[in-house]
Amino acid sequence: MGFISFYPLVSAILTSFTDQRLGVLAATKFIGIDNYYAAFKDMNFLKSIANTMIFAFCAVLLEFLLGFMLALVLHRHFLQRIRGVVRSLLFTPMFVTPVAVGLMFRYMLNVEYGIIPYLLRTLLGVQVDFFSPSLALFSIVLVDVWQWTPFMLLLLSAGLESLPQDCYEAAKVDGAGAFSTFWYITLPLLRPIMLVAILIRTLDAFRVYEYIYTITRGGPGIATESIMYHIYRVGFRFFRMGEASAKAVLFAVTVLIIVIIMYRTLRRYEEWV
Amino acid sequence: MGIKPILSYLCIAIALCTTLFPYLWIFIASFRPFEALVRPFEAFVPTFENWRAVLEKPGFVRGILNSIFVGINVALISIVVGSPAAYSFSRFKTGGNLGRFGILALQMIPPAVLVIPLFLMAIRLGLLHSLYGVIIAHLTFILPVIVWFLIGFFDQIPRELEEQAMVDGCTRLQAFIRVVLPLTAPGLAASAIFAFVLSWNEFFYALILTGGPAKTLSVVLGEFWTFRGIELGQMSAAIIITILPVLVLSFLTQRHMVRGLARGAIK
Repeated sequence: MGFISFYPLVSAILTSFTDQRLGVLAATKFIGIDNYYAAFKDMNFLKSIANTMIFAFCAVLLEFLLGFMLALVLHRHFLQRIRGVVRSLLFTPMFVTPVAVGLMFRYMLNVEYGIIPYLLRTLLGVQVDFFSPSLALFSIVLVDVWQWTPFMLLLLSAGLESLPQDCYEAAKVDGAGAFSTFWYITLPLLRPIMLVAILIRTLDAFRVYEYIYTITRGGPGIATESIMYHIYRVGFRFFRMGEASAKAVLFAVTVLIIVIIMYRTLRRYEEWV
Repeated sequence: MGIKPILSYLCIAIALCTTLFPYLWIFIASFRPFEALVRPFEAFVPTFENWRAVLEKPGFVRGILNSIFVGINVALISIVVGSPAAYSFSRFKTGGNLGRFGILALQMIPPAVLVIPLFLMAIRLGLLHSLYGVIIAHLTFILPVIVWFLIGFFDQIPRELEEQAMVDGCTRLQAFIRVVLPLTAPGLAASAIFAFVLSWNEFFYALILTGGPAKTLSVVLGEFWTFRGIELGQMSAAIIITILPVLVLSFLTQRHMVRGLARGAIK
């Protein structure tokens, strides 16, 4: 396992210091950090970073709020009988092939023959082009929310179920209301798992690629180009391997920093508990 | 019934509709004749034309077979390699806490980093446009997930069982194979299925590392709507064919998968 991941990793870092291009006859030269220097000045790359950040923030926030709400609703006692079935149905989107999800929504959101713009037009009388320059990124967020809210629901439901019951009984004895029980017991106890759920989803959202590929190809212009899609274009459309590697390494370092922060934070929580 | 239960039921109803509607809509679309695809609410005579066209489309059935081949290989390798690794993590605390966390971190390496070396490596080894390159690429992220899953299943097996077996004269390896593995069989099966689903759904590596007759299903599916042309009806049928197996598989093993996924977050 070490070999299968580490060899490519090291090799990627080495490639990032060269001007390697496929299909060019000149020998690959070592050019130091030029690729990194160029990456920071590349407007397209910076734009793709901004897009990815906006996308990840909106998607994860919406998924968290919706997932948390659903988890709380499903946790109610009177829903015990239907809980299992409802949950397994709600979980299904996260197992569906992302390419298929992208195509499904590209069809359903299409301004000419999609069902959703059609409904908006006939019921509300508004004309919405989901893939116009201003809305395209948000539409991709919607697709992500459809597929990945179930993941939030899964983790948060599991979290709610693992909470110790005696705290709630004690709160009841002390005469705490529903809101203060929620605010002072549920939220603090759930905080570690909320953190994990948000971080896992954020890291995942940074890698958004399939929806962009199937729905907009980064367009209109580069309005929806994500980091992954940008690297794909540089590396496998223009075959500038050195440049693509450098950008990918920068991307990986960012992810690594987030992972380290996550590890530290979690360890701190473990010490408290 | 008070207002609160009604709101709860309403909430669930909306969530269920939003979740299930896309499947239904695409399923209906796969039976629409050409003219009805662009007019959502007009009545139409269902046709099997799209399904026939998809199955006869050159490369589509090949894509299904390729995906099955890749998926089965990935699942088998990750179980065979992953279960001893997970066992060692679970029993001997190999690598300590950092080791455990390192596995998860491996899985978080962005594919964009690994794909370029894997691509160059595949060219050099002559594995480009062959399925073996994709199998290797898939293992880079699926193997860590499966090891992580399996650690949880092994943790649940009481140590005393193997110790008993070893007192009775088994070696550690025999105890592992004859006592521990059979007990974790449901977990192993669920993990294998999960590996298969992950591999089946993967697109990025497959797009770059396969081509021609070696394309996996997700890549073939991605070609249904390009700048060159759209076949909405065929695309819908292809989507249903692609997602049905993973939906069924994940539904059957959902209990184990959900437990495995959730366990990663709650210690």
